[in-house]
Amino acid sequence: MFVPDFFGQALNGLSYGVLLFLLSVGLTLIFGMLDVVNLAHGSFYMLGAYAGLATIAALGNFWIALVVAPLVVGAIGAVMERLALRPLYRRSPLDQVLLTFGFIYLFEDLVKWIWGGRIRSIPPPDVFSGSVTILGATIPSYRLFVIAFGFAMAVALWLLIERTRLGSIIRAGVFDAEMTAGLGINMPVVFTAVFAFGAALGGLSGVVAGPIQSASPPMGAGILVPALIVVVVGGLGSLKGSLAGSLIIGQAETFGKAWLPGASMMMIYLVMAAIVLLRPQGLFGRPLK
Amino acid sequence: MKVKLLAFAALAVLVAIFPRFAGNYPVKLLQEILIWGIFAMSLDLLMGYAGMVSFGHSAFFGIGGYTAALLLAGSPGLLTGLVLPAAVSAVAALVIGFFSIRVSGVYFIMLTLAFSQMFYAVTFQAAWLGAEDGIVGVPRPRVLGVDLAQPASFHLYLLVVVGLAALFLWSVVRSPFGHVLRGIHDNEARMQAVGYAVDRYKILAFVLAGVVAGIGGALYTQLVGSITPDAFLWTTSGEALLMVIIGGTGTLGGAVLGAAAFILLQSLVSSYTERWMTILGLTFILFVLFAPGGIVGALRGRIGLRA
Amino acid sequence: MRVTRRAFLAGGSAAAASVVAGPWASRSHAQGGPVKIGLVLPYTGVYAVLGESITQGMELVFARENWTVAGRKIEMIKEDDEMKPPVGVRKTEKLIDSDKVDILTGPVHSGILMGMRDKVHSSKTILIVSNAGADAISRERCSHWIFRTSFSNWQPCQPMGGWVAKNVSKEVFLTAPNYQAGKDMMNAFKETFTPAGGKVVAEDYPKLGETDYAPYLTKIKQSGAKAVFAFFSGTDAVNFVKQYDQFGLKGSIKLTGAGFLTEPDVLPAQGRSALGVITGHFYTPQLDSPMNKKFVTDFKAKFGGKTPDGFACQGYDTAEVIVRALKAVGGNTQDKDKLVEAIAKTEFDSPRGRFRFDPKTHNVIQPFIYIREVREVTGGLDNVPIDKVADVRDPGTGCTLPT
Repeated sequence: MFVPDFFGQALNGLSYGVLLFLLSVGLTLIFGMLDVVNLAHGSFYMLGAYAGLATIAALGNFWIALVVAPLVVGAIGAVMERLALRPLYRRSPLDQVLLTFGFIYLFEDLVKWIWGGRIRSIPPPDVFSGSVTILGATIPSYRLFVIAFGFAMAVALWLLIERTRLGSIIRAGVFDAEMTAGLGINMPVVFTAVFAFGAALGGLSGVVAGPIQSASPPMGAGILVPALIVVVVGGLGSLKGSLAGSLIIGQAETFGKAWLPGASMMMIYLVMAAIVLLRPQGLFGRPLK
Repeated sequence: MKVKLLAFAALAVLVAIFPRFAGNYPVKLLQEILIWGIFAMSLDLLMGYAGMVSFGHSAFFGIGGYTAALLLAGSPGLLTGLVLPAAVSAVAALVIGFFSIRVSGVYFIMLTLAFSQMFYAVTFQAAWLGAEDGIVGVPRPRVLGVDLAQPASFHLYLLVVVGLAALFLWSVVRSPFGHVLRGIHDNEARMQAVGYAVDRYKILAFVLAGVVAGIGGALYTQLVGSITPDAFLWTTSGEALLMVIIGGTGTLGGAVLGAAAFILLQSLVSSYTERWMTILGLTFILFVLFAPGGIVGALRGRIGLRA
Repeated sequence: MRVTRRAFLAGGSAAAASVVAGPWASRSHAQGGPVKIGLVLPYTGVYAVLGESITQGMELVFARENWTVAGRKIEMIKEDDEMKPPVGVRKTEKLIDSDKVDILTGPVHSGILMGMRDKVHSSKTILIVSNAGADAISRERCSHWIFRTSFSNWQPCQPMGGWVAKNVSKEVFLTAPNYQAGKDMMNAFKETFTPAGGKVVAEDYPKLGETDYAPYLTKIKQSGAKAVFAFFSGTDAVNFVKQYDQFGLKGSIKLTGAGFLTEPDVLPAQGRSALGVITGHFYTPQLDSPMNKKFVTDFKAKFGGKTPDGFACQGYDTAEVIVRALKAVGGNTQDKDKLVEAIAKTEFDSPRGRFRFDPKTHNVIQPFIYIREVREVTGGLDNVPIDKVADVRDPGTGCTLPT
């Protein structure tokens, strides 16, 4: 063992944490608002990466892909919700498990059918393709962009939810869907919109993560559990919780890898188990009844 | 009631004579269905009756499997092959259950998932447990002087053990204990108010389910002669979950039907087409939309959720 | 409503029954019938591209022979093992018990190989391992019935140790995924690295399937090592090499590794990040021999311009062994001992060099382990051979085969 560069690892932890946030914020919205167990969230991440790939292949521009990919995935999410999920709201959550599991298989195979199973990669935009050194720690400039982008998204989402009419409808719906419907709001449309929005966020994280990680059809399964863990640690349906949870887990994972190598497979589960046992509703979730 | 017992007996006879007219591979498939079936059934006790959805049930399957693998190498018998794996699973279930029942709902799901993933991490990285390749070359036990390496003997042994385990689960469900479990599932607060020590019932349910799952794992090791860390993966728990749901949650027998459907779909369809994932995915989706209540529910012609 | 559900179930059962009846129909196994070659490979999942390449290598040979050998038709039965040991074991049972294959080939996953080993050995089924590199199959768990045409994990790594010490640096940081195969590879490297004066500055083993190597890359930078020797494959290889480049390490700390780090299944995704990376492997499509040039041309012609990789070569060699051995015994698959003998004696010019089995272990003797560097060539990036080590055979410790 040797002394790691503390600041460098902290930066690493920050960029990893922010990526986790982008990944999980869509899931927590869907969970919190719709009470839906969407195991296919990893698939949205994967679809986003591939939509990004296709856009870049066609138009050669990363920034356009950053806009187009979430829209595409949001549309897919909307169709999925309207056709398959809506009939299940009144039914047992286990039915949603089976349904979304089915979509995992389906999406993975469709993507493989169209793009083939070969591993792909999204190159970072030229302006961010190098690395910078801050206080002796080297970090790829793209990761700095991810950190900035992630925080900007967090602020934007907070504004959306706390300061807009749509946001207040969502908040009301999370609190009491029936009541909100009673106020004349078309809840089914809102549900579809929220699901699509959550899917779009998942897709966005796929494009953003693209230059750092590789893309392949089974990539969704790998991030589902980390996303679920962040959601649980942060508290279901809480934007603040999603951010706090992902930043904490990001640092825990990173320093775990740096200082306790043998435990890196287990670290995220240990952190989650500890938090769930000590504070079951998560950091910012609603207290359990 | 009598009808059910007769049906069970008839089914047992069919399973027993199956090797007479089917080749090795179909028999192996049937044996896997029995093993995964009992595993799924134990999960159904937890999910369908006690209302505790666990994504970590594979932990006990793996513990039972690894215990059997380690012990059978030394002295292959009923003690090492079944009794000790069941006992170790029981202890593990007691510990894990003690912590897990402090939470419920999605938190329970995630906590149980975390525990089984931790076991995965440990077995994957432990050289003495065979690391990522697991333990191979496990001999079958000798029971009552009979060496179960002989396929016909093993088949009967498997049938007897699985049958007894199934009957055990069935009797648990019909017992007063089982009724209390269902009461807890329906309205925990009320049961608590009436004076039941809800936590103790939950832990006991967890342990009973864990023991049967451990037996399933031990049987799997004996069937295949090996066990790998994959047994602990959350996806293994997920597959058991799918089996229960497909068969019909809360029906016990449905779990075996679900196991059969899943294994047959997974094995046979993939022998015919590379697009088996699309077929499987579509099957699940259409199934949920048009056959709620699983196979059993469809057979009954109405929604299978217990009224 | 009732009618709908019952009809659904009835229709579904009928469909299932017909699907189920298919593979259970009895299969004749007359001497004049086809020679059945079973393939247990992943056709779904991340490593499906390997399964595909290996299969294509085999098809190239069988097609050239018009799918006939010694007057009998060749029938390939492919089974998807999904890289999952329970499925792999199940499919193996099917191929051996139900399809009654004459020769079994595969798998990719070492766990599946270890899981099928006992069934293969006890049923006296001939298995030609076309990928999985678990050293044990050539050592304490070797078998009279098992051959390997691909590699043992030891083979690409052991020669690299001495070479890296002499040509790159004597201060090296080792890294591989945290599992036995990874550790075995690093140990193989050390076998020739330390005696050549090399010093292992540090070792780090990230978890298998790691997506963010940042903490490890920071540690590599801190360590003071002048070079890295790494083993990663699949998505791990892509992520590691890309991030290694993004962190600006390539310029100051030379990246070397086992061949899988930059094989064609990962090289396109790595892109320019892989430039200059040096790896050791038994094959590269850039090899200059007439045999290889023909192999590459034929492969591209048959598979839509796709360049073959090491996996395709493994498949090619597997099929060549099968065809030559069967010709040598006149198509007689009933006398298994004779067939095993014929396979063991097979020798031919493969794209990788002169191919032969080590009689001590039934493992392939690598005619060369090529030291390759990723460079720009016409058509993109590829592994260009810059040096080689001859005659690499697995030590086979603990393997005692009947002569």
